[in-house]
Amino acid sequence: MQDGVVLTTLDDFLNWGRKNSLWPMTFGLACCAIEMMATGAAKYDLERFGCGAFMATPRRSDLMIVAGTVTLKMATRVKTLYEQMAEPKYVISMGSCANKGGPYWQYGYHVLKGVDEVVPVDVYVPGCPPRPEALIEGVMTLQKKIANERLLRNKWVKHA
Amino acid sequence: MHNQLAELINKNVLGASAVVNKTEDAKTHASITVEASAIYKVAEFLKTNTEMPFNALQAVSGVDYLEYIEVCYIMGHFDMNAPRDLILKVKITDRVNGNVDSIVKLYPAANFQERECYDMFGIKFNNHPDHRRILCPDDWEGFPLRKDYIAQKTYNGMEVFPDSKSNMEDREYIVRQGMIKKAQEGAANKVQ
Repeated sequence: MQDGVVLTTLDDFLNWGRKNSLWPMTFGLACCAIEMMATGAAKYDLERFGCGAFMATPRRSDLMIVAGTVTLKMATRVKTLYEQMAEPKYVISMGSCANKGGPYWQYGYHVLKGVDEVVPVDVYVPGCPPRPEALIEGVMTLQKKIANERLLRNKWVKHA
Repeated sequence: MHNQLAELINKNVLGASAVVNKTEDAKTHASITVEASAIYKVAEFLKTNTEMPFNALQAVSGVDYLEYIEVCYIMGHFDMNAPRDLILKVKITDRVNGNVDSIVKLYPAANFQERECYDMFGIKFNNHPDHRRILCPDDWEGFPLRKDYIAQKTYNGMEVFPDSKSNMEDREYIVRQGMIKKAQEGAANKVQ
């Protein structure tokens, strides 16, 4: 059975459900977290995309928005939190610091040079800090990525 | 005020040998330097005396001058009639085992400040109730704000300065500029 109608339709249905109920983790590290809060608040309203339910535990969340400077001390904690999240899980790296070290990229002895050194990142949002529109753009990019996933086919069909 | 206070300290505290560091212009502040071994007694005197008391410790900071490390205590007196503040300095020449007495018993505000000073400059504070690093991880190597500090290469398996993410052209440029400068200086010396 090569990627039949049933599996494709079922995948599409599951993807539709997953992409419209992305639950991010309540997890802010620095000033980017302020913009993340603004995005979640009334004016920019992340809830329009089903993404506004900020969970207070990694075990109930699908999305980790790494918002801010990841210091080496924090990097081990970020990794632990990522490992505690249930599959399928996604990571948005928000802001220059999380992307590549930001202003600390050359001389900062205490900053991890990009969160992708410790966790796999799906979407990078540039900016210092990114405006709420930029974060929403990042979330929508991630939703497009989720819509094209084929979880069931990858699981059940060999040599897909 | 500083001369008067230094005299008071010298009169009342044995072995303090307080010296006033004067300033030429009004932009910088005058300060008083005392012996490192007498800092606890000096702080006790400053807190308890009746002529010129200081009831608050505002900050403890450190400065690295390479020949010695200086610990600065910024003290204040919150009084509507006679507000004043003082920069009290202590010089530590031992870079390996440098230590001063903690003044947490007198000023509880010194607790975190002294921990930060230890974290950044590696000065040990004797009799400190909770003598740990405050900002860096506990297993961090070295003291970052020292002038001769070199950051460690890896921490917990993470590279601190990965080559793939560094601006190698910039680094090469800096090294090349240094070499050119050296060559020019060498040539100038030969001509002389």
